[in-house]
Amino acid sequence: MPDQNAEQVDKLPTRVIKHGDIVLEARGITKRYQSLVANDHVDFDIKAGEIHAILGENGAGKTTLMKILFGLVQPDEGEIFVYGEKVKFKSPLDAIQLGIGMVHQNRKLIPAHSVFENIILGHPSAGNILNMKSSAQGITELCDKYGFKIDLKAKVWQLSEGEKQIVEILKALYRGAKILILDEPTSALAPPETKKLLASIKIMTGDDLALVPFITHKLQIVLTTSNRVTVLRRGKVTARLETKDATEKSLAKEMVGRDVIFRLEHTESEPGKPILQVEQLSAINDKGLVALQDINFNVHEGEILGIAGVSGNGQQVLAEVLAGLRKELGGKVLLDGVDMTSSSSLERWQKGMGYIPSERVDVGSIRDYSIIDNVMMNYYFDSEFSKWGILDTRKIRKLSEEIIREYAVAVPGPDTPAKSLSGGNLQKVILARVLSRKPRLIIANLPTQGLDVGAAEFVQNKLLEARKEGAGVLLISEDLDEVLSLSDRVAAIYEGEFMGIIPIKQVKREDIGLMMAGLKHKGAEK
Amino acid sequence: MKLGGYEVKLERKMKVTGWEAAMISILAILIALGVVSIIFLQAGVNPITGYKEIFKFAFTTKYGLPLTINSSIFILLCTFAFIVPMKAGLWNIGMAGQLFAGTLGAFGVAYAFGAKGPQGANLSSGLVIPLMVIGALLCGGLVGAIPGFLKGKFNTNEIVVTMMLNSIAFWAVAFMIKEGGPFMGGGGEGEGFKLPESIYAPQKFGIPFTILIALLLAFLLYFLFTKTKVGYQIKTFGLSPAAAKYAGISSFKIPLLVFIIGGMIAGFAGYHYFAAIPRVAKITMNYGDYGDLSFYGIICGLISQENPLAAIPIALLFGGLINGGRNVQGKLNIGFGIDYALLGVLMITLVFFQFFYRYKIVWKKIEKEK
Repeated sequence: MPDQNAEQVDKLPTRVIKHGDIVLEARGITKRYQSLVANDHVDFDIKAGEIHAILGENGAGKTTLMKILFGLVQPDEGEIFVYGEKVKFKSPLDAIQLGIGMVHQNRKLIPAHSVFENIILGHPSAGNILNMKSSAQGITELCDKYGFKIDLKAKVWQLSEGEKQIVEILKALYRGAKILILDEPTSALAPPETKKLLASIKIMTGDDLALVPFITHKLQIVLTTSNRVTVLRRGKVTARLETKDATEKSLAKEMVGRDVIFRLEHTESEPGKPILQVEQLSAINDKGLVALQDINFNVHEGEILGIAGVSGNGQQVLAEVLAGLRKELGGKVLLDGVDMTSSSSLERWQKGMGYIPSERVDVGSIRDYSIIDNVMMNYYFDSEFSKWGILDTRKIRKLSEEIIREYAVAVPGPDTPAKSLSGGNLQKVILARVLSRKPRLIIANLPTQGLDVGAAEFVQNKLLEARKEGAGVLLISEDLDEVLSLSDRVAAIYEGEFMGIIPIKQVKREDIGLMMAGLKHKGAEK
Repeated sequence: MKLGGYEVKLERKMKVTGWEAAMISILAILIALGVVSIIFLQAGVNPITGYKEIFKFAFTTKYGLPLTINSSIFILLCTFAFIVPMKAGLWNIGMAGQLFAGTLGAFGVAYAFGAKGPQGANLSSGLVIPLMVIGALLCGGLVGAIPGFLKGKFNTNEIVVTMMLNSIAFWAVAFMIKEGGPFMGGGGEGEGFKLPESIYAPQKFGIPFTILIALLLAFLLYFLFTKTKVGYQIKTFGLSPAAAKYAGISSFKIPLLVFIIGGMIAGFAGYHYFAAIPRVAKITMNYGDYGDLSFYGIICGLISQENPLAAIPIALLFGGLINGGRNVQGKLNIGFGIDYALLGVLMITLVFFQFFYRYKIVWKKIEKEK
């Protein structure tokens, strides 16, 4: 229907936008969820050609604000102006038609389709009949203009996280977005990819596009790329400043509300005998592709081995194979000197393994279970907690109460269902449940991902504590700072292979960055 | 949504108390009865008289009450056969097949002891009856194990497998009792042989001992799912197979186990209806109807929110409506099928009212814009 398409395209703003014009403004935005005030009279504006970062911890109200600006959520109070006109978004479609685009953190692409198909999906000109040639040409022009390198014919599932992000950005731009909301744009990218993305973003601002990145921790990126910053804390704007007036320390303070120590207490380690030995380990992922290739390493008692790497390079498969949740293709896994390669997950738990999974909600816990039942997940098989097949509920209740007290889990009591816990509190429960078993080997997969600074610090300290008590810790993390501040030795994984293992004293940040991007380290231990 | 000067909104409920759940169910039942009144009115019968007759017959008469209770035990057992796999997140749609298998198992034992022949009159009830029960449990459990095994090993769809097995078991019974099959009765009318009185199940007032087992089972299952390790493993698997795997729970053993238990209970339901009720004591010609009736176990299980104790009153109500409804259509000269119409409407309203387990409607007056 050509007429219809023309009509839709007409709705896009045709006015001339000058550099520095205010393109989007929000005044007094308030959104309540029952007793929680997610946004409390938030004011915010963005000018054409500007990068205006929104900074805040998890639960500060960033996501809510972003959803309101994109029309996914309607505010209880407050007004939004686009190009000076008051608007009311009923759905994201209204926002898209006004030239607002959004790049989600969880990619909303169709993996089985090609890049090109994903980009034109939902585009008004892609009606019943596709004009492949002109669309492809338009997209290629956009790529050239902003320096994106991507194969339009490639299937999305073959792409790296960084490339998927580019597809999302292209999709929004091709749809005519002039204001681009980016949710945690660099969280899943390798250092070189981040660099490229930031360069492209710079070119976009030259074209008078307005960019609003939402960022949880990478303060460095905020400082180097943005023009202005708005800091949110508990739903309120605590600071709005020109980036040139800000420092890493001042931003962190505004974000957390107190001074943040950027270094943890990391004493010299005294590694004991190896608790985990991995030899020539290989495995495949769900797609049947090789995800791990001939991996060799040891974890000793009383040390933390950190594995750095960009998301999707085999970390998940490695954690699952070690935890006994996935079958290996070849190689050996020795726990405390005993070959456990073909042992079940339960046998490994009983042998002294403790696994903290990255998927907190659907693997690490059960939403509808109370805290007691969630704690039970790692205890039901212990003879101490069940006799003649009958569970000792009183004992497990006592343990749950201890956990709540000791870890300061913010809940009314142990009968609270897990679904009413915040991410940080839930992770505390999972961590406490695993650590209270006094495991000799801890496999921690992304233990602080998505947690706010305070909760993350807590989790990190607990891991250090366990190490001090003689446990061996395998830390898998995508946050390089975390790996560097906790580990005794650092390994980098790239496409299922270890690029080398380096003792922390010899680590240079740049080396690890290169290793994460696929360069083997020469001086690394075998 | 706006209604006049009020704003009506749906709010998600976090938790439903047992009391609320009971009130919701009672309300649903009243509404269903109200809707079915139309059928009575259209037949020229005062609905109040109609319902009075139904409940009077089903719950107060000497002839009707045992009928009601026997149907209810049957439905209750089928409910348990459904609930146990459901706790593991698996749908047992195969109670019919499992109960047919159980029936064949029970009658197979009786047949092996010569119950069909002349020596049937002197069988030892203390020996044969327990063996018949065991036969029913084994055969029901075996048919149940098939979908359980396939689910655990190859992740096949349990709904499809159980449904297929229903058909197979249905025809297996037909093969055994019709046209010269080994279990064919003397009359040659397409029904099974009659059990000799020597192995009639122990009973009181026309209600066999199976009622005690069914009630005991309700408490046992309740205990299983609240206090035991196996119950915890089953529930965990049902709520999240991925979390269960993380906790070291076998994704092979749990489906197999729940389907074996479910199949055994359904097999026992077959023994109860066809072998233990004295007035039946044979595989009847219309045995297929009881396969259909077993599906009410699904409804009963869903309404009771998989709670085996809450299932008891619901099964009793279902049993009463079937028998009372069947009686009333003859007595008051109403068209055929009032019993199933009643159950059907009741089912739909109860399922519809499930909505209120999860949501509540709130309305508030809209304040004028300032």
